[in-house]
Amino acid sequence: MRKICSFAMGVVLALLGSVVYAHAQKATEQFIPIAESPGVSNKLTVIGEIDQYDAEAKTVTIATPAGKQTFNLTEKTKIYLDRTKLRLRNLEGKFGDLRKGRRAEVKFKDQEGKTNTDWVKIEMTEPGPGNN
Amino acid sequence: MTKKVQRVFKLTGVLLTVLLIVGWVTIEVIESAAQPLTPSELIAKGRELFFKETFNGNGRTCGTCHPAANNFTIDPAFIATLPPTDPLFVAEFNPALKENFEQPELMRKFGLILENLDGFDDLKNRFVMRGVPHTLGLRISVASAQGPRTGWSGDGAPGDGTLRSFATGAVIQHFTKTLNRVPGVDFRLPTEAELDALEAFQLSLGRQQELSLPLKLKGLVAKRGQEIFLDNALGKCNLCHGNAGANATFAPGLGNLSFNTGVENLPDQPAKLTGKLVPPDDGFGIPGDGTFNTPPLVESADTGPFFHNNSIETIEGAVAFYNGDAFNNSPAGRVLAGTDPRGVGIKLDATQVVAVAAFLRAINALENIRQSQALLEDSAKLKRRQARELIALAAEEIQDSIRVLEGGGLHPEAIAALKEAQRLAQEAKGSLFSRQRLTREAIEALKRARNQLVEAS
Repeated sequence: MRKICSFAMGVVLALLGSVVYAHAQKATEQFIPIAESPGVSNKLTVIGEIDQYDAEAKTVTIATPAGKQTFNLTEKTKIYLDRTKLRLRNLEGKFGDLRKGRRAEVKFKDQEGKTNTDWVKIEMTEPGPGNN
Repeated sequence: MTKKVQRVFKLTGVLLTVLLIVGWVTIEVIESAAQPLTPSELIAKGRELFFKETFNGNGRTCGTCHPAANNFTIDPAFIATLPPTDPLFVAEFNPALKENFEQPELMRKFGLILENLDGFDDLKNRFVMRGVPHTLGLRISVASAQGPRTGWSGDGAPGDGTLRSFATGAVIQHFTKTLNRVPGVDFRLPTEAELDALEAFQLSLGRQQELSLPLKLKGLVAKRGQEIFLDNALGKCNLCHGNAGANATFAPGLGNLSFNTGVENLPDQPAKLTGKLVPPDDGFGIPGDGTFNTPPLVESADTGPFFHNNSIETIEGAVAFYNGDAFNNSPAGRVLAGTDPRGVGIKLDATQVVAVAAFLRAINALENIRQSQALLEDSAKLKRRQARELIALAAEEIQDSIRVLEGGGLHPEAIAALKEAQRLAQEAKGSLFSRQRLTREAIEALKRARNQLVEAS
């Protein structure tokens, strides 16, 4: 019985240690336009204009009617270029695409309310080099 | 009154009538739009979407890979019955999807579907080949303490990762007209209302509650199989498949857990024997951690092939997997061995493997009987056309139960009663005047079959 209990504890601890509330699929998120991510947009995201990208501090500031909010970017943060309005394929981008004035959506929270900049979608209004 | 005045009156009258009609219709439309759907209306809407809505894509619907007539999954035998124009085979006839959308040979031979779960940047080399999990019993198999676990690796849905959001990802992956996957061009994404309806329909499928083991099984071998299944020092099955479901039992509230059980390390996997490129599947996350979530077992015997890569064809083979090196050298197998006084993960002899499989066959057949009985009872409340559809589904379920029991050489008396139930159901489906009577008789035959499998509680 003790063995079973230690098995239980071992498995639970291993699982809790390795998986931190991240069950959403990342791959297809790229193709979902700004403001349309199911169960997430406008609940766990902020939508507004990029006010500033600070490459050194690794932050992006979004201006919304409610004010400005700054988000930390990590190496795990995905950047998606939303080209749906151009009727072109959405692409993965890079931090350098976080340019002032572009409309963007930042997924910054998980279901448990922990802040964690999961992805940033940037609305592209013109094809741009290498983007078409 | 001049003719001119008369004409004006007439015209005004017509205009008023038209305005009244338009106003009434508008109010009706607004009212019906404002009325929330009842749960059964929502399920009916979800069913319609699931089987008919293509989302302006390549012609596939959710039902293409999750057909009701095949337990909401596909396997090579079912695939072989489809016409070449079926949208499942879209990669074979749509030039835009010919490359890097599916692997038609692996689909037809092994029921495998291509998924780009690690990203869409290298379609030629970066993909995994997975079987189609059935959508039965989702209400009791998706939740975990750490969030919902959808699909084989628990991360099948975009957005918030819930079952509700699953359809959005499925449309992007499987419904697209071209590999550009542009919303509004290659498909349309489901609306919020459609996601609600699809979720309600999926949650309505199959079991709505867990079994409560042990059952008073009548078959000696299945009964022994149940004992082994529930024995945490021998079969150890119930630790992760509580009550033969998908939820762990070794601590309260865990729900569905993910494990690396070493399936990817099985030698001689059928798909790999073809020589086709079958990249390793790293399971949950990007990069994956090698784990896959736990499927429910009650529905397993008639929804093979087994595991995420359809690597094992029979339920006996699936049970025997846990005896092998692939499992016992896996992270999950090693944890299990670490708790065993003999240092063994799972070790069953051939008779014990067959006994556990017989138990799984018996509970699957009991679930088939429960479902077919419910379908037949519901059919009695419906008009002819809808009733026939339900009776046809009931007949499929009965056929499954026969196949499952015959496959294990189990319960010939129950099989005889099931065959009788199936004959009666088929007759009821085609009958103009005796449908209700034949349906009642089919239900009685099902009850007789059930009594052969398990003692009345």
